[in-house]
Amino acid sequence: MEEDGGKVRALIDKATNSTAAHVDPRLLKAIKTAVRYSDSELRIAAQTLMDLMKRDHSQVRYLTLLIIDELFMRSKLFRTLVVENLDQLLSLSVGFRRNHPLPAPPAVASVLRSKAIEFLEKWNSSFGNHYRQIRLGFDYLKNALRLQFPNAQANAARVQQERREREMRTKEILVKKFEALKENLSLLKEEIRETVDEIGECLEIVKNKEENVLLGVLDDDDEDFEEFRPLELRQLRLDSLKEGEKVCENSENKVVFDALRELYKLLVSKHLISVQEGISVLIRVEVADTRLRDSMLKEFIDIRNHLQSVKKKCVDSGCALPDITKHDKEEEEDFWEEGKVESTEPGSFSEPNKRYEISAVSSTSGEVKNDPFKCSTEKSKRGESLGSEGGGTDSSSLRSKLMDKAPVIEWGSFLDSWGSNRDVLANNRGLELESHWGRVDPDAVIPAKKIAELNLHATLYKEDQVEIPPCRAPLRKGGLCQRRDLRVCPFHGPIIPRNDEGNPINQSNSTSDINLGTDLVEQLAKQAVKNVRDRDNEEARKRKMDKQSQKRAKLAKIREHNEAVLRDAAVASTSGSSVIGDDVEASSRDKLLARNKKKLSHPCCGRK
Amino acid sequence: MWREIRDREAGKTSPNSFKNRVNSFRISNLQLSNHKDIVSPHRGSVNSLQVDLTEGRYLLSGASDASASVFDIQRATDFEGVGEGASIAKHRSLFSIDKQHQNGHKFAITSAIWYPIDTGLFVTGSYDHYIKVWDTNSTQMVMNFKMPGKVYRTAMSPVATTHMLIAAGTEDVQVRLCDIASGAFAHTLSGHRDGVMTVEWSTSSEWILVTGGCDGAIRFWDIRRAGCFRVLDQSQSQLGRRPPVPARSAMNKVITSKALSKGQNISVKPRVPQKKSASGNGVKHSPLGQIPAKGPIKQRLHPGMLSSQDRATAHYGAVTGLKTTEDGMHLLSAGSDSRMRLWDVESGCNTLVNFETARLQTSKPIQLATTQDSTLVFVPCMTSVKAFDVWSGKTHVTFRGHYEYVNCCWFSSQDQELYTGGNDRQILVWSPARLISDEDEGPAEDQDNWSD
Repeated sequence: MEEDGGKVRALIDKATNSTAAHVDPRLLKAIKTAVRYSDSELRIAAQTLMDLMKRDHSQVRYLTLLIIDELFMRSKLFRTLVVENLDQLLSLSVGFRRNHPLPAPPAVASVLRSKAIEFLEKWNSSFGNHYRQIRLGFDYLKNALRLQFPNAQANAARVQQERREREMRTKEILVKKFEALKENLSLLKEEIRETVDEIGECLEIVKNKEENVLLGVLDDDDEDFEEFRPLELRQLRLDSLKEGEKVCENSENKVVFDALRELYKLLVSKHLISVQEGISVLIRVEVADTRLRDSMLKEFIDIRNHLQSVKKKCVDSGCALPDITKHDKEEEEDFWEEGKVESTEPGSFSEPNKRYEISAVSSTSGEVKNDPFKCSTEKSKRGESLGSEGGGTDSSSLRSKLMDKAPVIEWGSFLDSWGSNRDVLANNRGLELESHWGRVDPDAVIPAKKIAELNLHATLYKEDQVEIPPCRAPLRKGGLCQRRDLRVCPFHGPIIPRNDEGNPINQSNSTSDINLGTDLVEQLAKQAVKNVRDRDNEEARKRKMDKQSQKRAKLAKIREHNEAVLRDAAVASTSGSSVIGDDVEASSRDKLLARNKKKLSHPCCGRK
Repeated sequence: MWREIRDREAGKTSPNSFKNRVNSFRISNLQLSNHKDIVSPHRGSVNSLQVDLTEGRYLLSGASDASASVFDIQRATDFEGVGEGASIAKHRSLFSIDKQHQNGHKFAITSAIWYPIDTGLFVTGSYDHYIKVWDTNSTQMVMNFKMPGKVYRTAMSPVATTHMLIAAGTEDVQVRLCDIASGAFAHTLSGHRDGVMTVEWSTSSEWILVTGGCDGAIRFWDIRRAGCFRVLDQSQSQLGRRPPVPARSAMNKVITSKALSKGQNISVKPRVPQKKSASGNGVKHSPLGQIPAKGPIKQRLHPGMLSSQDRATAHYGAVTGLKTTEDGMHLLSAGSDSRMRLWDVESGCNTLVNFETARLQTSKPIQLATTQDSTLVFVPCMTSVKAFDVWSGKTHVTFRGHYEYVNCCWFSSQDQELYTGGNDRQILVWSPARLISDEDEGPAEDQDNWSD
């Protein structure tokens, strides 16, 4: 018995004689097992622990307190033993008596203190009913000394309460949403139906156009080679057939496709989302009238399914990739510019143009290109987000007029809540996230007013980049002057449209220095008039005009060139080449290099 | 236990001795009660506790926050506990009188006592110089007495049949007796040289008042006559105590004879009839326990009391607590010198019982309590309450439960329960351990819980 007691005492001494923040778990276990089966040992342990608590060192007290807590939570006898001297234990661990402050290492002392308070709370909640002393001690520290307890239970209760309140509020908001939904249901359905109908019509149009082309090919292909092909090949073939089945965009149905794209975008980004939202609201909301809710839910799900099928149809028809189409357009633009610059080779002068046209028509069916169509694409490019009606950009002139006037707004998520005045949950991300910065109020609501304020868009005025044409006057060392001045080049005089060789275009065939003066006057006058007009006109129109003039210049050049070639050919056949060559040289002496180039390119022209 | 009951049924033991035995057994098993909580509404230290003397049911407490409350200690207001056990009875105050009351005291209440005849009245004394008499049922003040200084202690005689006097010890040197019947001061007793911390009526005679002052003197007054008739002197001592009843004196014979042999006192036994006659009519020749040295002047008590006698002290420092035993033959006093003394009232001698008090509160009056058979005295010793054996002075139990100084205790001999109040604002109940602990503990029972 005695040596047993010595054993527990030694164990406890060993366990408390450490600087660690925890009792060695193995020692603790040993103490527990030693104490478990023998009351006398438990008594000795209690006595030893109380003695240790009186040590003048906070670390020892701290470790002792940890052991006490372990035993306290487990043994009833230990509890009764400890509880008798609870006031002493508390004064030694909490140090609430002014004349007995906690001993030395202040850091450990504060840990000891907080731990003791925590333990007391724990003990009180689990054993307070059985030990008046614990209740008393707790009550005293809490009410008389007003120590701050961690208050775990109350905290939990408060959190629970808050959660409940939050749920209540969420429910309220849901109910409100539900009411709004009920009111807007018919409107929404109407809208969706319209869109879907329009999409259907568009698809119909496209299909009808394509059917007659494709059907015949498809049918007879199907049966013939079935047996011969291995599976992969067959799959490939089927895929390709399917691909072929897809309605491809061409110049004729481009309008339809554009409309389709708009509708698709509307469908995906607005209707589908609003329907999803409605469904989620309906699922979460709790209302008395469940039948109404269920029927609404069913309706919504039907609508959603319908929408998804329509969406699928759209995707299948290949119209539903707004990104790519946009990209296409950019490419076109680039191509266009390229063509403009690249017209240095006189032989291949018509090539880029042609290529452009082919690509624009997308090369599948040899359709005739038509000019008004180009205009319309231009327009639709500008009014992209306006959602033109299916196939009828020019039919409703009033509308298009209004659309021209209407401001163009960048696409953004704020358009979803365009014109609505609903409160929006601020922290409703669907994720239960705790912020580092403190508690997050999940019911924070941003009032509609604020939303409107937040959605207020500042549009920057962007100056349209005016492309200043280069001077393009021929230089003595060859090449063209690349200076870009608005009116007058300091070296080459006023800027006038010139051809690729640097010859002014507006003059007649033989460009001479003599009529340059008159030419200049004329040019200036023209320029002035043009400037006045330009100021009035739109940028696009101006550009178009430029293009037209350039085209004209090109045409003129071509004509000239062709004449020259014919002349050359004629001269060559008559062997008066040198004379004429001299003549040419005299007429335009300073464009030697360019002419050489021209000469070089002659053979290919001739061959052609 | 059962055997004792059987013996009583068989007539082997008298009911009275059976009762005494059970009583003492219960008293010896007092511990902090876990099933009886008094929910203290006080926001200050509890200075005074008393259970009413008629029913033994209502506990009156007075506290430093100028509030006095009454609790029903027999019937709990509500129960608290886990499950169906609900074992903790909460006794909330039936009513409180505090500063909000229109006639409430302004400062700390130091003393709150019941009217001894019934529970219809109670008396509070306060630092605001007032003693107020309250009607319990209407909780209204019915009378007040303006005192010359802070009131330390009030007392009413539990055995009085002919007077309704409140004895008040105050800052003032004079002890005043306030007459409820007339609403005026009936007596002004002068003799103390300092404030009077404690007053106590004799339990054997309704005319005898004992007061203890800050000057360390304990004075006996016969209110029918002017002046005090005795001042206890700590140097006048006798060994042992006289046998309370001659028949039971066998065990104390040795001590008594020893005392006699010392010749310190005149024989005690002849005194007994004398005392009876003294308390009977209180005529001039009734000096109780006259000291032999004062033989020549034994008839002259007042105003010609010898100045040396008049200056005698019972304690070094203030007398903070007084308690007469139930039989009125002994007086217990506590002083700021951390001493307890047991006085023989008859002889006026210090019995030289050494009480093992460690320290006593010095600045405040303390309220002592004794058991009915005067075997134990409960003394607030700083943060604990100690139960001493009256005759030997040995510590019987130490009650540790308060977290600050204990000011007062009251023993209810009816329930064998001890009530203590302290600076930590709590009123604790100490009750006998339950003999039969077969009560079902709730689901969260208090059991060993070894996880490994």
